[in-house]
Amino acid sequence: MTLRTGAVRTLVECLVETLADGVVRTSVTDSPATVEVQRDRWVDSLSAAHGAGAHFFDFLTAYDELDQGFVVLVHLSTPDAHDHVIISTRVARDDPRLVTVTSVYRGAAWHERETHEMFGIEFVGAERDDPLLLPAGFGAHPLRKDFVLAARVARPWPGGVEPDEDVSKRARRRPLPPGVPADWPRLEGGETP
Amino acid sequence: MSENDYPAVLPEQGDRSRGVIALLESNCTVCMLCARECPDWCIEIEGHKVTTPATTLQGRDRSHNILDRFAIDFSLCMYCGICIEVCPFDALFWSPEFEYAAPTIGGLTHEKEQLGGWMQSVPIEARGDNDPADSASDQR
Repeated sequence: MTLRTGAVRTLVECLVETLADGVVRTSVTDSPATVEVQRDRWVDSLSAAHGAGAHFFDFLTAYDELDQGFVVLVHLSTPDAHDHVIISTRVARDDPRLVTVTSVYRGAAWHERETHEMFGIEFVGAERDDPLLLPAGFGAHPLRKDFVLAARVARPWPGGVEPDEDVSKRARRRPLPPGVPADWPRLEGGETP
Repeated sequence: MSENDYPAVLPEQGDRSRGVIALLESNCTVCMLCARECPDWCIEIEGHKVTTPATTLQGRDRSHNILDRFAIDFSLCMYCGICIEVCPFDALFWSPEFEYAAPTIGGLTHEKEQLGGWMQSVPIEARGDNDPADSASDQR
């Protein structure tokens, strides 16, 4: 992304000026540039970006950092100057709440609903938070890292077979698929650690 | 000419484009590395061991693996190419061939004959000295 130089200020510069100590860290070497803000300045930071010309809301999503909580982020850009920024904030795992940004970007509503169902993050003040993609009563947040992938439990791992395997003499101790924690539940017929 | 003219005109594809994965059966030792590394669990392999008796007085019996089944489920495959990267024996190759849509999801599971047939479309730069005829093949 080309950062504007000279008299015209970049989105990052505008955000740093407006939010001051509400900014946790910035990086202009990332592409696009990133700005992490305090959780209580989340809506302020998006208002500031919007005021600085970032009228294009691309997406809002999150990722799970386990005991460091969840990072919620948005990608915004200025349609005329092609300046981009990713604004992020961190919410605690035991208090996954954030104020909705639909007051600034109406189109964030769907993204917040999806992030709500996938990560279990509550967007305070959102008009709707019913599931967008998951079936009713799913009862879990599949993009959280502690979510067990049911297919990996129910289906035997194709890589667990030995080249000369005699299926009638399957060893009790099976190799565990990479990335599957040893304490995951196992179904009959699947690998048992 | 552009991609927009497809299917009347076939698109130009680079030699390294990722269309489908081809299997050179004669190079496969049933080592299972590809099936174990596959993040999508889309490779199914079955094999058995045969023992060749010693041919000399002092010699030893040799055992080697015979491939019975090799299948890739392209409805699960995400085209990451890790299987091709990890194969120590150059048995898997990228082919630019992409026209293998199927009317049923089961039709996207390609058994070793079909995977072998894709060897014909692997660019010579990728397959080197390997002869595509060294594969079980159901060239249609």
